[in-house]
Amino acid sequence: MTAIVEIDGQTGRLLLSGQFDFSAHRDFRQACDEILASAAVREVLVDFQQVDYLDSSALGMLLLLKEKAAAAGKALALVNCRDTVRQVLEIACFGKIFTIR
Amino acid sequence: MKVLLADDAEVVRLLIGRFVESLGHELILACDGIEAVERCMAEKPDMVLMDMLMPRLDGPEAGRQIKTRMGARWVPIVLITAVEEVSKLADAMEIGADDYLLKPVNFRILEAKIKAIQRTVELNRKVHEQANKLAGYYDRAEEEKRVARHLMEQLVNRERLSDPQLHSWIAPAESLSGDLIAAARTPGQVLHLMLADGIGHGLTAALNVLPLTQPFYAMTERGFALADILVEMHRKVRQVLPVGRFVALAFVAVDFAKRSIEVWNGGIPELRLYDGRGGLQKRWASRHLPLGILSADALELETERFQFSQRANLVLCSDGLLEARNEAGEAFGTARLALACAGQPAAEALTRTVEALADFLAGTHCHDDVSLAIVDLDPDATLPLPEPANPGELPEIAGEARWRYAISLGVVELKSLHTVPLIMGFISQIKPLAHAHADIFLILTELFVNALDHGLLGLSSDLKCDADGMEHYLQERAKRLAALREGRIDIELAGHDLGGRTMLRVRVSDSGAGFDWSWLEAPDTHRPSGRGIALVAALCASLRFFGNGNAVEACYLTRQIP
Repeated sequence: MTAIVEIDGQTGRLLLSGQFDFSAHRDFRQACDEILASAAVREVLVDFQQVDYLDSSALGMLLLLKEKAAAAGKALALVNCRDTVRQVLEIACFGKIFTIR
Repeated sequence: MKVLLADDAEVVRLLIGRFVESLGHELILACDGIEAVERCMAEKPDMVLMDMLMPRLDGPEAGRQIKTRMGARWVPIVLITAVEEVSKLADAMEIGADDYLLKPVNFRILEAKIKAIQRTVELNRKVHEQANKLAGYYDRAEEEKRVARHLMEQLVNRERLSDPQLHSWIAPAESLSGDLIAAARTPGQVLHLMLADGIGHGLTAALNVLPLTQPFYAMTERGFALADILVEMHRKVRQVLPVGRFVALAFVAVDFAKRSIEVWNGGIPELRLYDGRGGLQKRWASRHLPLGILSADALELETERFQFSQRANLVLCSDGLLEARNEAGEAFGTARLALACAGQPAAEALTRTVEALADFLAGTHCHDDVSLAIVDLDPDATLPLPEPANPGELPEIAGEARWRYAISLGVVELKSLHTVPLIMGFISQIKPLAHAHADIFLILTELFVNALDHGLLGLSSDLKCDADGMEHYLQERAKRLAALREGRIDIELAGHDLGGRTMLRVRVSDSGAGFDWSWLEAPDTHRPSGRGIALVAALCASLRFFGNGNAVEACYLTRQIP
């Protein structure tokens, strides 16, 4: 997986691509730290457009990001979830605690 | 560095030896090839400088022997040679020598070579150290896994899964499974089954699901309901796991006597119910977040109930099964699962699914833990209640009770306490009643529920009649309990010795309006309600109502222990 950070004004976008699983741990954490460290960013968007698979470790990483974003006072949303990703998020009922667009 | 110098010419040993020593290295000398090999074995030098031509054993052959006998330890060998020996030199380098120096030896070059070799030796030593360290880590990890696997098996206690209605299978992706299947019956014979999927796999995933087993088994044994056990499991998971870790879980309670299923699904793929002809009768999608994410008081306990009337298979599996991928990258999916197991007897369904997965994968390794549980929902599978212990004459009770247990509950307690499990906690400590837990649980449950539901809440059993009856009844019950302002229930248990057997006397009274108990004298078997009380009457040596029906006494006699 690769994680690219794009910052545009108050919006920080985390563009993920490939398989989002435990092997993405380090890249994801670095990207998260980068985006959360930016004072200008008010809202963090995790973009799943290029993600074709995510597993439960990925869900765990998203929970950690949620915790960190909340601590940094930034809003968080999961965007561009395609079918397989949406399905995993649905089974985990993550819609109850995440904004999914 | 420790340097071995082998040369038959004393002048060379002196010249080169002095120089090597002047560079700060420790010097070991040998006069020929055989001595070189021996000293090498004894002294384990870091490098060897060796003449090509020596008596007894020449340089290249000595070098070959040193390389062979040193095994994994790398000892660089530098041959000292005259130019005309170039083809022999090439042979020597092929069988073991690492480098050469031309005669006459140029000290500037010798120094540079020794330095270069020193660098390589150090690098080599570092690699070795790291490899050793890694091997150590590996051994330790294997040992920890072995211990963890043993602990897991003890804590999960696999033999308890041997329920006649349950067929299950787990295949870990690594040596430890992060999936867990646990099943146990309540004292009232309700089957509790959970399928849990800890995040990731291996040891950490296995550790994630461990906190679940203790509350599951202990509370099921005492007759707690599904929701109460969930709350406790969630509390445990929250307490033990760090942020970002959670456990997806499906919890099923099957009451074969009442032919009802209750399901709570937090993060597990749809549970599916296939009827005898393979038709999909019902699905229970995940409605809740997995355990360990929400704060303790935010856990949603809403369950879904279903009444079954015909034989069917309830199929639960972890996402590891549905997402298992073959070489072509296809997922196993629900269609293959349905094809393998729908319309089959439960045991057969399990075997066929396991085989279908193996065929599908064709040797490809699963990337996630796979677990599958199939409950055979057989309306006839009600475990027979034990025969009444002694329906005959009730013997005279002589003398004092050996023990007495009394509890008096006001409105607040009735709303918050789990009364019957609470009393079962006490009963489980009384040795002579060890074999009678199921009977006592049933007697206490029926008498307590009767006192609360009908006595204090004034609910009519007629509510249970229609198809969704149980749901309506439970909703109405919850509403009235929440609105209850006054009332009291007194429960007293006493144990008497009766010639080696124990007589348990249970008295329950409530402050309600009572009911007409005269029909109990001649129970109508077609009546939908009152079955519970009739059952208690059958189990007990005597069952008597008093006054307007708001006080009852049941005498239960334990079986003669052979």
